[in-house]
Amino acid sequence: MSTLTEERFLEIVRDELDLPLLETDLENDFDQVVSWDSLYLLRLVAAVEQETGTRVPVGRLFSKRSLRDIYTTIAGATAGV
Amino acid sequence: MTTVVDSPVSAAAGEPADNNAKAGPAGPAADPIGRLQALARAKTLAADYAEVAPLLAEVAWGENAAADLVRAGRVLSKLSPAAVLEHHPAQPVVKVAVAGHSTVAALVPPLTAELARHGLVLDITLGDFDGYLRELQDTGSQLYASGLDLALVVLDPQAVFDELPEVWRVEDLEQATAAKLAQLDRLAEKYVGNQPTATLVLNTLPLQRTHTHQLVDLRSRAALGIAWREFNAGLLRLAVKHQRVAVIDFDPLVAAGGPVGDARMASYAKAHLGDELLGRYAREVAHLTRTIKALTKKVLVLDLDNTLWDGILGDDGADGIEMATTYRGEAFGNFQRVAKQVGSQGVLLAVSSKNDHEPVLEVLSTHPDMVLRDTDFVRVNANWNPKDANLRDIAARLNLGVDSFVFADDSPFETGLIAASLPEVAVVRLDEEPALHIGKLLADGWFDVLELTAEDRERAALYRTDAARQDLLDSSDNFEEYLANLGVTLTLAPVSEAEVARVSQLSLRSNQCNLTTLRMQPDTVRELAQSPDHLVLYLRSGDKFGDNGLIGALFCTKGGGGSEGAGLTIDNYIMSCRVLSRGIEQAAIGALLAHARDAGLGPVHASYRPTKKNHRVRDFWPSFGFERHGGTDEAPDYRHDLAALPEIPGHLRLDASFER
Repeated sequence: MSTLTEERFLEIVRDELDLPLLETDLENDFDQVVSWDSLYLLRLVAAVEQETGTRVPVGRLFSKRSLRDIYTTIAGATAGV
Repeated sequence: MTTVVDSPVSAAAGEPADNNAKAGPAGPAADPIGRLQALARAKTLAADYAEVAPLLAEVAWGENAAADLVRAGRVLSKLSPAAVLEHHPAQPVVKVAVAGHSTVAALVPPLTAELARHGLVLDITLGDFDGYLRELQDTGSQLYASGLDLALVVLDPQAVFDELPEVWRVEDLEQATAAKLAQLDRLAEKYVGNQPTATLVLNTLPLQRTHTHQLVDLRSRAALGIAWREFNAGLLRLAVKHQRVAVIDFDPLVAAGGPVGDARMASYAKAHLGDELLGRYAREVAHLTRTIKALTKKVLVLDLDNTLWDGILGDDGADGIEMATTYRGEAFGNFQRVAKQVGSQGVLLAVSSKNDHEPVLEVLSTHPDMVLRDTDFVRVNANWNPKDANLRDIAARLNLGVDSFVFADDSPFETGLIAASLPEVAVVRLDEEPALHIGKLLADGWFDVLELTAEDRERAALYRTDAARQDLLDSSDNFEEYLANLGVTLTLAPVSEAEVARVSQLSLRSNQCNLTTLRMQPDTVRELAQSPDHLVLYLRSGDKFGDNGLIGALFCTKGGGGSEGAGLTIDNYIMSCRVLSRGIEQAAIGALLAHARDAGLGPVHASYRPTKKNHRVRDFWPSFGFERHGGTDEAPDYRHDLAALPEIPGHLRLDASFER
């Protein structure tokens, strides 16, 4: 089990979701990110869980409004193991 | 085989070209997903669409096939059907509408990929969340769109459990399942009655422990299990009861392992069926589509050494190869049994093996442990020529296209060769573990058909008697003498219920001798056969070597069918290529024209509509005295004034009737 770095998180977002993200998209509200929807979130969770071997608290992520918020929540959860 | 395909895949993806060295001279792409992504980035995916199916064939045999097909599907699903058609106007498009009880969007990538494996472009619309009942009810919904091929109504267990009271007993569930089944039965009936083109696809519902164990008493739990199975059995019965309703059984898909879904995805995203299961479902849907679109494979070509038996005949000798008694031998024997089982249902079995011919025939006919015998194969090509040449040879002998072939071999060299040089052949990549052969052969429903006919069960025997005919031809001085000795009989008669399934199948399967390629599902054939305005005739032929079975059909519309002047319009003539050049077509058309003249029906109209495969019947109508009457040079229409009729060949005994 490994802690998820910010770079690796962004890599997963780009590779697994095949989303052309800009650096600033990490901070942006989802309303401003290309075609973001909850299915992306589910795929992201699956990919992160596979990468870290740690369960992600999915239920808390739906209320997050940016990739930064999601990363912080996930990093907090994976670091605690 | 000396052609080295310098993989464009590697070049584009910046990979070293020697990645492919191990897999044979024209080996598979090293990184098919990377190649797809590169094509998408370069915006040439539509133009290079011909590359897609071969790349997906690689993906489908890769280590993470399920996940990678989803990944490939995501890339492909961004491509619009219109973009593909712009570059490839003939590429078949499948129009699909999806409705469901829960979230269904996750089905798009795997379904896109599974269809693209077969060169089918997905044109998909998604319904609203939990909209399946309303959409089935509303004839204006996406499920009733015109020209739709498939309506997928994806059901999950919550469709039933959501209808239970807050606190429930097993009696509530029994009522809910019975009511749901009756509701779906009514909706299916309404659907096929109001949607003329599409097949409605339902599925059985997996029962999970989180359902059964909400009941603590074992007696109720057993009753729940019974009610659930009766519900699923009832769903499966809908496919038997209604035309154009298919029900995909989730039991074997769930039994393949892995979770039904992820409880968190179910709870948070209302995605009750997991990605893995949806992937398997997508594969079933793709093969159902092939079945409906008449793309069913007809021939299974098998290798011998380390495919049907353990060992190498040339090295180990007939006594050294094993297909029983040893651990590994028994696994090969089991594989033979499955191949024989497949062959008993209309699939033609053939051999392509690098061996000397004589020892192979000796083993096939006399080895005590063989399950498959020489008589189970319609062709045995045991020689030292490259296998792509052998597959072409088998196709030519059987009068079929190699695109109707499935090829199974344990050698990566041979499977790589066929994948590269004959991409239209479906390749089953066996390996050194014989216990896995069966699973690999059946991983795809290559040979699925809607319904088996009597001809299917006899097909192998029918093809084998062709060999006897070939012998007669070889021993005859000329073709006339051959025909005179053959003793051909032909029955031409109106189609009744007994012939409906076979006539439909013929219209769906025949490619080369199919004048206008009008494909017809059984209910369409039945409708036309019963209509007073139409005349649908079947052809059944035989000769001294046996019955050929039902080998052709004539579809006619009385009264000219809209073209000028009253008369009779032949909407289509189809015939099995197997019986071409025996005077059968001349006798059938001659008899029909004589009937038109005697019954005073007036001039007879007919057409030829070109496809990729029916060029050999281009001049069919003129050869019987039809004259050009409109249409275009590409797609000509014809007319016969009935002044001079083609002669019924003297070597043939004809029995024609036109009244039901």
